[in-house]
Amino acid sequence: MKKILAILLAGMMTATVFAGCGGGGNTESGGSGSDTQSSSDDGGAEVKDANLVDVSVFGDEDNISLKVWAPDKAVSLVKEQIEAFKAAYPEKTFTKIEVVAQGEGDAGTQLMNDASTAADVFSFASDQLNKLVDAKVIAPVAFAKAVTDMNSEACVTAGTLQDTLYAYPETNDNGYYLVYDKTVVSDEQAGKLEDVLAACKEAGKKFIFNCGNGFYGCTFAFTAGVKIDGLEEDGVTQKFTDYDEAEAVKTLQAFSKLMHEYKGTFTSLDNAQVASGFSTGTLGAGVDGSWNTNADQDALKDNFGAAKLPTINVDGTDKQLISLFGYKYIGVNAASQFPAAAQVLAYYLAGETCQQQRAEKLGWGPSNKNVQGMDVVTKSAVQQAIKQQSENACVQVNIAPTFWDPMGNLGNKLVADDTDPDDAAYFSKLLKDTVANVRDEG
Amino acid sequence: MTFVEYKMLNPFQRFAYNFKKVLKSIPKSVGRFFVGIGKAIVKFFTGIGKGFKNYGTTFAKGDWATKLSYLIFGVGDLHKGKYYKGILFFITEVLYILYITLFGWQYISKFGTLGTVQTSMQKVNGIPKQVFGDNSMLILLYSVLTIVITVVVFAIYIANIKDAYKHQVMRENGEKPTSLRHDVKEFLDGKYHITLLSFPVLMIAVFNILPLIFMILIAFTNYDKQHMPPGTLFTWVGMDNFGSLFNLVEGAKKGKTFIELTGWTLLWAVLATFTNYILGMIVALMINKKGIKFKGLWRTLFVIAIAVPQFVSLLLMNQMLQVNGAINVLLTDISHLFGGTETIEIQFLNSTTFMARATVVIVNIWVGIPYTILSMSGILMNIPEDLYESARIDGATPVKTFTAITLPYMIFVTTPQLITTFVGNINNFNVIYLLTGGGPTTQDYYQAGRTDILVTWLFKLSMDTQDYGLAAAIGILVFIVCATISLIVYNNSKSMKDEEAFS
Repeated sequence: MKKILAILLAGMMTATVFAGCGGGGNTESGGSGSDTQSSSDDGGAEVKDANLVDVSVFGDEDNISLKVWAPDKAVSLVKEQIEAFKAAYPEKTFTKIEVVAQGEGDAGTQLMNDASTAADVFSFASDQLNKLVDAKVIAPVAFAKAVTDMNSEACVTAGTLQDTLYAYPETNDNGYYLVYDKTVVSDEQAGKLEDVLAACKEAGKKFIFNCGNGFYGCTFAFTAGVKIDGLEEDGVTQKFTDYDEAEAVKTLQAFSKLMHEYKGTFTSLDNAQVASGFSTGTLGAGVDGSWNTNADQDALKDNFGAAKLPTINVDGTDKQLISLFGYKYIGVNAASQFPAAAQVLAYYLAGETCQQQRAEKLGWGPSNKNVQGMDVVTKSAVQQAIKQQSENACVQVNIAPTFWDPMGNLGNKLVADDTDPDDAAYFSKLLKDTVANVRDEG
Repeated sequence: MTFVEYKMLNPFQRFAYNFKKVLKSIPKSVGRFFVGIGKAIVKFFTGIGKGFKNYGTTFAKGDWATKLSYLIFGVGDLHKGKYYKGILFFITEVLYILYITLFGWQYISKFGTLGTVQTSMQKVNGIPKQVFGDNSMLILLYSVLTIVITVVVFAIYIANIKDAYKHQVMRENGEKPTSLRHDVKEFLDGKYHITLLSFPVLMIAVFNILPLIFMILIAFTNYDKQHMPPGTLFTWVGMDNFGSLFNLVEGAKKGKTFIELTGWTLLWAVLATFTNYILGMIVALMINKKGIKFKGLWRTLFVIAIAVPQFVSLLLMNQMLQVNGAINVLLTDISHLFGGTETIEIQFLNSTTFMARATVVIVNIWVGIPYTILSMSGILMNIPEDLYESARIDGATPVKTFTAITLPYMIFVTTPQLITTFVGNINNFNVIYLLTGGGPTTQDYYQAGRTDILVTWLFKLSMDTQDYGLAAAIGILVFIVCATISLIVYNNSKSMKDEEAFS
């Protein structure tokens, strides 16, 4: 009896070894890599309209089983859309189309971990595109011409690498803008950062800008003229546009001066604090992302104001703040068992009808030109603010993984207590170091 | 120096003498450590040599069946009537050959290059489809698996030869091989340890040792953001990753980051370990003091802090230390009480290096001492009361009692615990990552902040920038540091040298 017990215990001990050992191997085996074709030779396969394609595109694929990744908030809507999709192709049998919740932020990473068990069709944010293309886990868009015609130029350009369109544009709204309490900041004041801060200080309220996060912190570099310009040949080193160093340093100093002048008003905090700051009444204005719009609106109700980012005065000229602006795309897993069906489904989910439904039900800004003209977009202050900001933005695509940390550091240093805003040499070195760190030099 | 001479020294001289003695003993023990390693290596190779010798002599002495066992597993056993074992040996060989031809060979044959065929794209009537080439990661992974399996099969092969020869000798002596029934019984009796441990050992090999070998090998490849399978291949680069960590040329950020973070990691580990140890001991002593009322209550209060999961307290602390957090609000309110008008906004975690590091150490004290108090209270209650009694009778002062009885006893019992805490603190991911996230950020380091320790840097390198090769190299170096420190300290501790001291 004792021995049996001992065996059981030993078994249990090994069970704990198992715990936490998830994951598994990628199982597709190698094949020969001949017959490489340039995939940008033609406009891709034929389509029927803005949502559907001819059933012949499926080829001999039938008894189709697919997996879709969508963000948590969108899962139920995507499920409805998939029912409609099935009904639109009565000739085909769909054994199973499964929708699994998966955040867009790390869908790419999840896909790269194990492409064989990942979704066939997945939503992701534009900054992961170059990683996915480099790893060759994403299939190019099969209906490139139709998709290019239907969607706004900017997001098609951003989805195009090496002359190939790699993903179906899904939204045109992944950015941040100025939100303010109308009782504190007036619509006119919202145009200038100085006015916004002055108004907040007068009312004894705070202004939040998440400087320490590279996603927001890069605004300072961009506004200073140090803009990103894709990647170098090696596919991982960030390229920057040429910039005037003296001008850039002056702009950074202007930011830093303003932050120090309004110390106590200007605070660098996590974005989660924006909505809670509005609801407790301690916040006058802040810079927040489109995904928090609903929370901000709930907190401010009728006093909710939204505008593009303000300007900052540098040596007498007002400079528009340049933000980072991204898109969301729908991609097709290159390892899909049903490549044609996956492409057709992605085309449908990124099509006009689905974009309209998402704009209405989820408040997502569409990339489809027709939907952009609809009331649901043109009558929304938030959508307009986002649209205006998108015209003053660097596109969040082709971003090196080393980008975020140094940009967050730049924001931190501008706002840090021990930084002297008048020390031009310091800012000059800071800028050089930041660029060098992003480019991973040294 | 004789005992009498020692007794005549004043306390400062005694301290200096003891200090010198400790310092002197360190080189000796380090030397011993390396001599030990050398001896182990020699033993290992002579063992191998002996194995080869036996291999030859057995072949020379063996009959035809034993000789055939060198090629076909189990023949010797089958010939001598040990059927079940012979069949098992034979099956092993068949399975191994099947495994290699059907699966293992395609990976192990590419082990030297980690693959040469790139992934490419193909179009089938307008629909793009990926044609996957070699996947360096899978090649590495399955090669490691194949190598491990080969080693195991080799061991079985040797066992097969030995067994064949053993049965040959038994037959020559007129003995009969034991039956299956007898052998199975043996596994529940004389060989019971094998029955018990085979499954755990197998699982540890599969889930711990295999991945470990895999990770160690990655440190010698250029697996990083530019070489991500399945899209691109990675390959062997020798010691390059280690080279860039020790590259101290002006402007080389990785080397600078590594050296400075190592310094801070060690400083952090020392501070975190000893502040917790000393303060925890003091609080435990206070609670344990005779005449203190409500001992149970005090202990419970401290233990309640443990009831909240550590990561929750740390995240809460992070929030409280923000510029608009509870601590700044509290300080502002207090200053208002005394007529201040300013809002206090101290950047605890985000401004200077010193402030952030000090904050981390202090928060760690707050999070950590309840554990020390718990273990210390237990140890304190275990010190034999008669020791104190005789000290009192001899007229010892409380301070003397502490330094002569309590402290040596505590150090004796807790040295192994101190070592584990120290190593744990070198790898204390939670406190740093959840509290500061590595901040304050700096432009002087590569992907690290001022409070980052090596493990959090490693985490950032692998999760944010996909520098897997570099991260694996750091992991190996951290292991070497931890292992060396632990072995030297433990081997020099009283608990190791003089196990019986206090029993």
